[in-house]
Parts: sequence; C-alpha cells; structure tokens
Amino acid sequence: MLGKVLVITSGKGGVGKTTAAANIGAALAMEGKKVAVVDMDIGLRNLDVVMGLENRIVFNVVDAVKGKCKPQQALIKDRRIENLFLMPASQSDNKDAISPAGVEDMCRQLRKEFDFILMDCPAGIEQGFENAVAGAQEAVVVCTPDVSSIRDADRVIGLLYAKEIPPVLLVNRIVPEMVARGDMLSHEDIIDVLSIKLIGLIPMDDNVVISTNTGIPLVSQKNSNAGAAFRSVARRLDGQPDLPLEVPGARTTIWKKLGARLGLGK
Amino acid sequence: MFNNLLRRLTGKSGSRDAAKKRLKFALVYDQLEVTDDTLSNLQHDIVEVISRYFEIDREAVKLDISRGNDLSALVLSTPILGAKRRA
Repeated sequence: MLGKVLVITSGKGGVGKTTAAANIGAALAMEGKKVAVVDMDIGLRNLDVVMGLENRIVFNVVDAVKGKCKPQQALIKDRRIENLFLMPASQSDNKDAISPAGVEDMCRQLRKEFDFILMDCPAGIEQGFENAVAGAQEAVVVCTPDVSSIRDADRVIGLLYAKEIPPVLLVNRIVPEMVARGDMLSHEDIIDVLSIKLIGLIPMDDNVVISTNTGIPLVSQKNSNAGAAFRSVARRLDGQPDLPLEVPGARTTIWKKLGARLGLGK
Repeated sequence: MFNNLLRRLTGKSGSRDAAKKRLKFALVYDQLEVTDDTLSNLQHDIVEVISRYFEIDREAVKLDISRGNDLSALVLSTPILGAKRRA
C-alpha cells in the first residue's frame, strides 16, 4: 500500500512548523510507522539541527529531486528512533532550484517505501510553498493563538482547498493561564473563526527550547506536556481520528481553589 | 482567578475579545480584496446588463468597493441618458 504525504505549513514564520514536523514524525515512528521527514525550506535548513542529525548530511532534497542521487541516498537514518528518516534541505541553493513537478515525482517514489512522508514547508505562499505542497494528499496547518498567525492560516487554508489538499489545524503555544484570564484566544475562538477540523492543541512548553538546544525530540521526553500532545496528534493522524482532544489546562492555584469555594469560578 | 474577580469588579474585559473581533474583521476585509481584473470584468458585465434597459454613458460608469466599519458595499454610479423603449 502507498504511504501518505502530509505537508506541515502555516503561512507565517516562527509558529512551530519545524518543531511540529520533527515531533509528529518521531511520534509516528515510535508508533511503529516508517517515516520520512523532508525539509523543504531550501536555503534555510533547520530540521536537521532540530532532529539532531546535522553532522551526517551527505546528499539533500535538491540532489534527490534533480536526480543527482536516489531519494534513499538523501535520507539520513535516525539512530535513536527506529524507522525515522530525515531528508535535509540544501543550504546553498534557492527555492527555484526545484519544481513542483520534480517534488511530486520524488514523493511518488517515497510513498512506495514509507507509511508517512512529512513535508516541512517554508514560511510564505510563494515558490517554496508550491514546491512543498506539490506531492501532498493532506495538510497540517500550524498556528499560534495570535491574530497575525490565524489570519495567515486562513489564507493558507484557502490556498490548500483550491489545490484540493484537505487541511486540519494544529494550535501551538497555548498558554492556559492566559486563556483562563481572557487574554489569549482559546481553541474554540480559533475554530469559530477558521471553521476547520482540529488535529491537536499544543501547550507552551519550556522543553521545546531545551529540545532544540540538545537535538533530542520532545516526544521521547517523559516530562514534556508538548511532547505528550504531539504524541496524540500522531495517533490521530495514524488511524485514530476520533481520539478526544486534550485541552491544555491551567495549573490549579490557591486563588482558584479559593475562588471555586466561593462560587466565583467561570 | 484573582484577575477574573478584579475584572468583574472593574468591568474591564481581557484582550481576547478584542483579538477575536479584530481577527474576524480582518478576514472579511481580506476576502473583499479583489484584483483590478476582477473588478473591470464585473464592470463590463454590469454595463452590459444595464444597457439592455437604459441608454448609459459607458465611459462614465464607476465601480468601487467602499469599506465601512460595519459593512462593505459595492458602489456603482452611472449617468442615465434615457430609458430604452421596450419592443
């Protein structure tokens, strides 16, 4: 059976696409799937450092698309997680080095060997976006609970529908305390505005920075809330679409307990 | 919680509602942004339809999208030279 190509995209930069690609990929592999994560941010590669594989690069995605090497030769095998592979971006080329048709062709080859192929899309909606979505059957749109990122998500969702690539939404960096005190959009607010299916809610987590520092994925850390949330995103993508959403909860403080006693809860 | 209480007492609401309101407005506004091509095609079609009923000065027809705080409108203005006689 052919594998599935998923593009991780957002429009806006810096919302956590690469973190999501690395961790969903790692989590799917930990579930026993064979996974290739492809860095499509040509010229600005980063997925390799996030996954801790930066010192093992030989070939890259531009080489594979242009036929300078076989796709398999450009894939780096993760040593910690079985069945996880990375295809790094090229750091010296620019986005015009490859075409959507070339990427589509490579995806077709990868689908024969992998259960999931995750395309980590660059920010923006120009050539790099076109290349990254070319071979995709489905999309995960990442946003954070702020106005600018949601507006960009709306634009990207429109473009994906026009290309007949059905999108789902991943809300990243939720700060439950801020939602509780009415200073951050909740996931209900976001869904109300975007009318799209949710695939997961990721809480703000200091471990994301630590994970990027060390190159060890969040999903393999036991104490990470964001890691646990990414693991359930992977399960929803992998045959359990109805797994209930976990809403990141605010820590229970003494004020809350006192408030609840006095009947002041929201 | 304490903030909630404080807000109830002062009657102030958080920035979340403002964010949602501004976001909804921005998305509607974005969708109304049409290319000059679309607008000129629309103008051409409208002029065709009006010309079946009225004599109009085709060159003087103006079509614009006007945006207000609460609603946006398509505004067409054209001088009418005369009504066409129905056969």
